[in-house]
Amino acid sequence: MKRLLFIAVAAAALVAPRIVSAHHGWGGYLDAEFEITGTVAAPVSLAGPHATMTIKGTDGHEWLLTLAPPPRTSAAGLKDGMLAVGTKITAHGHRHRDNNRYEVKTERITVDGKTYNVYPDRT
Amino acid sequence: MQSSSLGHFMRESGPWTYAIVNLAHVLGISTLFGSILVLDLRLVGLGRRVPLAFLSSAVVPVAATGFVIAATTGVGLLATKATEYVGNPFLLIKFPAIALGLINAAVVRRTSAWRAHTIRDLTTEEERQLAMLGGVSLLCWLTAITAGRMIAYW
Repeated sequence: MKRLLFIAVAAAALVAPRIVSAHHGWGGYLDAEFEITGTVAAPVSLAGPHATMTIKGTDGHEWLLTLAPPPRTSAAGLKDGMLAVGTKITAHGHRHRDNNRYEVKTERITVDGKTYNVYPDRT
Repeated sequence: MQSSSLGHFMRESGPWTYAIVNLAHVLGISTLFGSILVLDLRLVGLGRRVPLAFLSSAVVPVAATGFVIAATTGVGLLATKATEYVGNPFLLIKFPAIALGLINAAVVRRTSAWRAHTIRDLTTEEERQLAMLGGVSLLCWLTAITAGRMIAYW
């Protein structure tokens, strides 16, 4: 009957894939620094697990800006519902590894000369 | 689900809401799994010197409480950004695993072996049956937890 336990553990291990495209960590994003300018399409949302906002990029694509977890984003000065639609901003961070996804794991955004740095410990 | 009042609450009631509900979810899961693990291992055959009836009377209510906490907080977490999880393959593993775990638990309760375990010693055949169901239970909950954790990394 101990074999059953072994089978259970082995099956669970098999279910877990070897390689996962990390959404929350940095692993799913390119190492290269990335910058995109655009206008706010959806204001800051402090919904978990990560705060987000979207911009209409100057390249014509709608970009999802994945910010830090809500408390950290809030501490950086970005509150829920902030930045009016149409405001021009520049986001700096790392682009998603998947070229078809217009998503930036964002370290900081600049609005009219003011910088909101949600990951001040990263440059 | 996302546009429900629960979804709105999860998103708009402050930056710590998700973190706190997430914490409760983890506590619920650990309560459920930690307790059911002890019972399932006993069913499978470990720690036979502990009478099953003693163990089950202590463990089952704790496990059920853990499940309720995990399930209710889980709905909240999902409602936060439900649309973002559409197409996440790990949900398609997690929810059937939970369903099977619950069905398995219901099956255990209906066996004559389980009904008898509080009143008399079980036969070898009955013990074997419960051992198998205990193994299935472990498999279900381990799969549900593993798939659940992987949801975030898809």
